[in-house]
Amino acid sequence: MQLDSRPRRPNRLARREAITFYLCISPWILGFLIFTLGPVAASFGLSFTRWDLLSPPVFTGLRNYTHMRDDKLFWQSLSVTVRYTLMYVPTELVGGLLLALLMNQAGVRGIRAVRTIYYLPTVISGVAFVVVWMWIFNPQAGLINATLARVGIEGPRWLADPNTALTALWMMSLWGLGRTAIIYLAGLKAIPPELYEAAEMDGAGSWPSFVYVTLPMLTPTIFFNLVLSIIATFQTFTSAFVATNGGPLDSTLFFVLYLYRKAFQEFQMGYAAALAWVLFLVILVLTLLVVRSGQWWVYYEGEKR
Amino acid sequence: MTKRLSMLLLFGLLTVLLISCTAQPGGLVQQVVVTATPTVRPEGAKTVLRVGTGDSGEGLTPHLKIIEQFEAANPDIQVQLEPVGSGDYYARILTQIAAGDPPDLLQIGDDAVPMFVDKGAFVALDEYMASAQYPLDASIYLPGVQDPGQWNDKQYLLPKDFSPLAVYYNKKLFDAAGLPYPQDGWTWQEFLDTAQKLTKTDAGGKTVQWGVQLPAAWTTGFEYWVAAAGGSLISEDGKQFAGFMDSPAVQEAVQFYADLYNKHKVAPPPADMNAFGGGNSEFDNGAAAMRIFGRWPQAGMKDNPNIDLGVVGMPVGKQRANVLFWGGFGLSELSKDKEAAWRFLRFYSGAEGAEVWKDWALPTVSAVADSSGLSTDPIEGVWLNELNYLAPRAYVYTPFWGQTADPALRRVLESVILDPNADTAALLTTATQDAQTALDDLLAQQ
Repeated sequence: MQLDSRPRRPNRLARREAITFYLCISPWILGFLIFTLGPVAASFGLSFTRWDLLSPPVFTGLRNYTHMRDDKLFWQSLSVTVRYTLMYVPTELVGGLLLALLMNQAGVRGIRAVRTIYYLPTVISGVAFVVVWMWIFNPQAGLINATLARVGIEGPRWLADPNTALTALWMMSLWGLGRTAIIYLAGLKAIPPELYEAAEMDGAGSWPSFVYVTLPMLTPTIFFNLVLSIIATFQTFTSAFVATNGGPLDSTLFFVLYLYRKAFQEFQMGYAAALAWVLFLVILVLTLLVVRSGQWWVYYEGEKR
Repeated sequence: MTKRLSMLLLFGLLTVLLISCTAQPGGLVQQVVVTATPTVRPEGAKTVLRVGTGDSGEGLTPHLKIIEQFEAANPDIQVQLEPVGSGDYYARILTQIAAGDPPDLLQIGDDAVPMFVDKGAFVALDEYMASAQYPLDASIYLPGVQDPGQWNDKQYLLPKDFSPLAVYYNKKLFDAAGLPYPQDGWTWQEFLDTAQKLTKTDAGGKTVQWGVQLPAAWTTGFEYWVAAAGGSLISEDGKQFAGFMDSPAVQEAVQFYADLYNKHKVAPPPADMNAFGGGNSEFDNGAAAMRIFGRWPQAGMKDNPNIDLGVVGMPVGKQRANVLFWGGFGLSELSKDKEAAWRFLRFYSGAEGAEVWKDWALPTVSAVADSSGLSTDPIEGVWLNELNYLAPRAYVYTPFWGQTADPALRRVLESVILDPNADTAALLTTATQDAQTALDDLLAQQ
């Protein structure tokens, strides 16, 4: 069934339009082929080899993939990454929403300053940010433990303790809530005020209007943040690399950090490529699940229900 | 059906794009690479040599000084220094080697020697050293400093700088406690007693002064304790850990080390398990009486007003031992002008270079060490004397040390430091098994 108004036979005008189109997007296509698709395909090929950069790659078939089953650190890094994602993604979604609600009070004096202040941490470059937090978490002299000591409590050893290191990294990354909050803010501003007026006329207080107006209208934004957050959190690298390098006792050995270690410190490029593809598959499956589930809870205006 | 397949394919492509887009903000640490761009060669001219080094900042000064002196003496050669001052130095030179364009001379550390030499990255230097025109006599070196540059009985790299371990001590704290300074040849028991006498707690039970600052879970430094206990971590053929890493001698070493932290509590807990040496600052603040480490922070300690510095040799366990940490230069296999590169390498690592290095680190040439008075200096002489008790490092027995036993040993050390109730024997057994599995796997792939 043809829904558009294109003529069935491509006439000359249509063909010229098509050529112009492809010419216009050709820089991007070339960049994509050379810098993204090419390396991705090469990485796929490499994942079936053993390569240490010095000697030529040696074909080893599925050996890299079967090795993962017995690799204790593979499962450890997967477990750390999944646990961290389960900790971080819900708090990012909820926390970002709360922050956005706070920032959404138009007309309150100084609200612009509040928005700027909360967004500021996300602008700081990753490594500098992590180094500052490493000092805050220092068990002897850091800000947190020093303040606790003044009240007489002996603080935990944060990044030096395998039980608290992951939690410390989670606390550190919460500083980046500003980014999610800004996106929510845009979503909040897009909710038509007539809906709130209608709810008020029906006698709804602030909590029911939040649950029955704000949340449903925000579901597309929540969906967007959820998908992006899962994809990004699974690839956490900088904070673990700079703050703990996977320690202590591999309690913060994130998947991408493990991949990096295999590739650039142990020079097992083939195995690292295989790890990258496993990560891709995991993220792909999760994303597909979330997208599929979206049909039940995401409400887009203009849809026929 | 095809529509669904194409939607799936499109979705897969989109996910790839999304991943590559989202990868930027939190992605890999950006690398700042400093490379001297090779200058255009003028007519009839000089050979240009490139030298790669992992040093940076002030550490480049001795390199540049030596280069200046060499260029003055050899006007037909121009030398360019290519520093890469970040942790990814090895990855960078490997990439350069893979691309066929590495620097002519490369600096690497001791434990990287087996891997690079095994893969053919360096040229054997024995022929050059024996040549008539530009010879280099290996007997000029202090004992043990050329060994890390050897592999399979051939010399591949020449030494740049080195450091064994020693015990720093703060004379101020010893004087305050009325204790005599430690003497060379002291035992583990005397070391423990001294540390205990110098550990002070306040009324609330909190430690205000520590006996000794230890380098946490530093595995290569730990090899001293193993050697001094009379043990070794791997068989001589480099294939077996069982019977070595889990031997009673190693267990004794681990237990003694752990007890210093958790039973006798003479050592402060590590501040940063990730930092080289544990990230502690007690010795620098005058809150710890002794410190076990290499020579690297010595210059800073001498300038530190909290410390009146003394240095003494490592305590003797069942035997006297020490381990050497080392950096050296080698001639790249892919160098286009090996003769010119050798002339510079000979200058760099020989007596002329050592004259410059002695102001920054211990010189490798014994004549220079003697003539500059370092051999008899009360502090520097200690470092030089320790060279007489070196035990071979574990990495010389297998090129896979860093991927197999090193992480396993590190895990053992971290566990015993963090957990006072850790079962040393069980931990070592697990570590031995892990290391052995990993090693067998890697050997099978060769």
